[in-house]
Amino acid sequence: MKIKYKVSDRFDYWLFGSMLALIIIGLVAIFSATENMASTNYFKQLTFAAVSLLFFFVIYFIRAQYFKLLSIPIYIITLLALVFVLLSGHTVYGARSWLSFGPIGFQPSEIGKIGTIFMLAYWLSQSNVKLDNLRDLAIALFFGLFPVLLILAEPDMGTAIVYVVILLSVLFWAGIDLFGLFVILSPAVIVFLSFFGTVAALVGFLALVVLLFLFKKDLFLSLTIFIINLASIFLFDLGVKLLKPHQQKRIMTFLNPLSDPYGSGYNAIQAQTAVGSGGILGKGFLHGSQTQLRFIPEQWTDFIFSVIGEEFGFIGSFIVILLFSILFFRLLRIALKQKDSFAGLVTIGFLTTLLVHFFINIGMNIGLAPVIGIPLPFMSYGGTALIVNVSMIAIVMSFYRDKKEHT
Amino acid sequence: MSNEEGKALRYSIYFSTILIIVTALTLQLIRIQILNSGKFKIKANENSVKALPVAAPRGVIFDRNFNLLVGNKPSYNLVVIPAYFDTSSFTRFGKLLEFSKETKLEIVRAKRKYSKFKPIIVRRDIPFDVVSGVNEYGDELTGVKVEFVPKRDYAYGVNGAHIFGYLQEITADELKNTKGEYVGGDEIGASGIEKYYEKYLRGKKGKKLVVVNSRQQYIRDFRNGAMDVPPEKGDDIVLSIDKKTQIAAENALKGKKGAIVAIDPKTGEIIAMASAPTFSLSKLSVASPSEWRAIVFNKDKPLFNRATMSAYPPGSTIKPLEALAGLSAKSVTPRTTIICKGGLQYGDRFFGCDHVHGKVNMVKSIEESCNTYYYLLFLKMGFAPWLDFTRRFGFGRKTHIDIYEEKKGLLPDSAYYNKRYGRHRWNKGLLLSLSIGQGEVSVTPLQLAKYTALLASGGKTVVPHLAKGFIDNKTNAFHPFSFDSVKINLNKNDLAIVKKGMFEVVNGEGTATNIKDAYIPIAGKTGTAQNPHGENHAIFIAYAPADNPKIAVAVVIENAGYGSTHAAPVAHKIIRTYLRNMLHKKARRVK
Repeated sequence: MKIKYKVSDRFDYWLFGSMLALIIIGLVAIFSATENMASTNYFKQLTFAAVSLLFFFVIYFIRAQYFKLLSIPIYIITLLALVFVLLSGHTVYGARSWLSFGPIGFQPSEIGKIGTIFMLAYWLSQSNVKLDNLRDLAIALFFGLFPVLLILAEPDMGTAIVYVVILLSVLFWAGIDLFGLFVILSPAVIVFLSFFGTVAALVGFLALVVLLFLFKKDLFLSLTIFIINLASIFLFDLGVKLLKPHQQKRIMTFLNPLSDPYGSGYNAIQAQTAVGSGGILGKGFLHGSQTQLRFIPEQWTDFIFSVIGEEFGFIGSFIVILLFSILFFRLLRIALKQKDSFAGLVTIGFLTTLLVHFFINIGMNIGLAPVIGIPLPFMSYGGTALIVNVSMIAIVMSFYRDKKEHT
Repeated sequence: MSNEEGKALRYSIYFSTILIIVTALTLQLIRIQILNSGKFKIKANENSVKALPVAAPRGVIFDRNFNLLVGNKPSYNLVVIPAYFDTSSFTRFGKLLEFSKETKLEIVRAKRKYSKFKPIIVRRDIPFDVVSGVNEYGDELTGVKVEFVPKRDYAYGVNGAHIFGYLQEITADELKNTKGEYVGGDEIGASGIEKYYEKYLRGKKGKKLVVVNSRQQYIRDFRNGAMDVPPEKGDDIVLSIDKKTQIAAENALKGKKGAIVAIDPKTGEIIAMASAPTFSLSKLSVASPSEWRAIVFNKDKPLFNRATMSAYPPGSTIKPLEALAGLSAKSVTPRTTIICKGGLQYGDRFFGCDHVHGKVNMVKSIEESCNTYYYLLFLKMGFAPWLDFTRRFGFGRKTHIDIYEEKKGLLPDSAYYNKRYGRHRWNKGLLLSLSIGQGEVSVTPLQLAKYTALLASGGKTVVPHLAKGFIDNKTNAFHPFSFDSVKINLNKNDLAIVKKGMFEVVNGEGTATNIKDAYIPIAGKTGTAQNPHGENHAIFIAYAPADNPKIAVAVVIENAGYGSTHAAPVAHKIIRTYLRNMLHKKARRVK
């Protein structure tokens, strides 16, 4: 007997509706940011939006179990594209991150998020893979960090950070214990501390030794972890020395944005001024002086939120945050309700991707996060990111559609 | 189940994370948009940095010997910012500003637009007393500014209006097509070399960063100009024009209508190109809209480049080409003679000749320009060889010279006659006037010069061009431009006969013995283009020295009469000027 479902059981209106609303608000902001300019960006983005909705409905109707089968091929394609972009990509804003086929260009690192998340979820959802087994954990780390190395070589620090957070969140959802988390995070913390001098690094090592004692693991394992931490500092130092001087400089600027107050820091100050001066109600559509007088270069990409903030004020900004919140909580709920662990992990990976972009991007527009050039999902100008983000929602919606058939 | 409990815990942790992030962003928004909004409003209103574009000087233009032909000089534009302009200044400072009615209307309209803070250029190249006047009344004359811009300087003795071309404010269409390389109000090459080589000449704009308030009023330089980007001058263009020859050509056409083109036959380099009547580029650059209209609608069409766009029947200058066609078609030999009785009766029409030439062979037919010879030749060989050779020499096609102003003239073929008279409704008789370069065929002076160059060089030349190359502004290195070569197959012996005829035109008993030169052997051919609307056009083509040609010239003087009396002396002058060094050498015996 065939069970009849309501449409709302198979199609999450809240998820789809908030996504669509964000895309439309983004188009309004792009229109405002490029008005009176000899620019076709608004019409291009309108086309991208149409194409991404086409992607949405094609993907939505793919049966959920096929995604798992596609994990390995998509991951391999991701790695090949990331290698290929290093060999023959275009350089945009200092990073070699664009591939083009005739008139169509795209960023493999955007599409690669889906590939990497699929691969991690595939590996971690195998019934014989256990995260307290160091070998299985190391393999998961390898799957997650290999693309990060390739992206760092572009170099695109912002995207690399997003990948690392995605990896951590997927491991977290897969049920990693506190000790596993400690093993992964300690080398990163130690390397980070080493930037602030020898004293900070020594304090870090002291904390490491204390924690190792507290975990009460056997001596061999504790010693191995200590040596890995020690080695990571030297390896990182060696890696930095292998980079060219301008790449080294870019990493230093990233770690300390104030060292470039007239470059990226300057834009952030102007964006914050735009948002702040919007007040509660905003200055009105097409009437923001910061926006219309083009104080923020390329505002339609990373600083699109400042257009909303300036022209639609707190009300407009809060609506955007509210719409994102609806989206995030729906995604989290779908992840929780999933019986299939692959689908749950993929949903969490996608949720984290969107959440990190959301936080860092809006944060840098309002002076709460460092200037890391990553776009605001669904709203910033850019075809690849829009299509990838919409596809992520479509994949989750497909999981949602088929969830009843697993039970 | 511990797994389910763990999942619930992880859900709670993730839920809290989202909540913390959303709350943090909301609180920060409340802080800056509600609590501290006033501070940011003041900041937005009062303290912003703006990048003002700084115009780059265009590359200059040199002649073939690196003599400056077009340079740059400083000039001042009068700029109005409508938002800040007080309309009472129209009357209060009426004498100083001298705004036209159109300008006033434009300012009043702009005051109502959102873009009212955008400066408008209202007058270009204002005199110094206006500059000092505006500075003097600076405080009262709000919204009016004087802006320094580099401007074209044409005061180097060559007019060259049709070669260099003029600059014009960029149009909306061009703005759309150039994608962000220009902004409204920029000047862009609108014709001639300025247009064709715009991307070399235009240079790169600089940036001056200033702190302005929300009304776009200047407060101070940003960081004392430390971040400013100076403009980069454009690349210089080196022309193949010879300054002295060009001046001679322009002077020769003064008070006349017509055109002159002189080419180096081997390289295709244009040595001189003039068209009359002409106009002054420096006057045009400051012309008011009404002055502009006066030039555009002048009945003598001074803006029109006659050298490349005006097509005339070639007249008898077509005869050397036709002789080659006859020899190639084996319709005649160099020794074939005919008897000229002053014309030819064909059907019910009489086709005339200027004289009764008597016995005429090929050399004599060119030397004395006997029409009867060519009527008979055309009747014998037919239309096809005539068409083949006019095509070979490039008639009816653009030469693809490096300026955009070019027409292709008219070369009538069978299809043309079928269309005009109906299939089989026309015959050789109708075409007979083509044999003496009259009727439907028409060519530009540039095409005539290219044809002459091909004759002079034995069928090998290069696409005619004005620019030899450019000088890179950064490295100061000269980079030559390359142009396609033009090659046509001509029989050496046939060509020698024709060239002998052309030599005799000037040096034997021909139609242009009036320009026989004791120092320079010249070969040429006269022509007269019949003009149904008035006096005939005088044409002369020539090359020199006849034994090793270094210059090929085509001269057309409108409504002047015979080519020999009116066009040949002009060509002679051009040749003497270009080959001036030969004049100082020991006299050569010209046979």
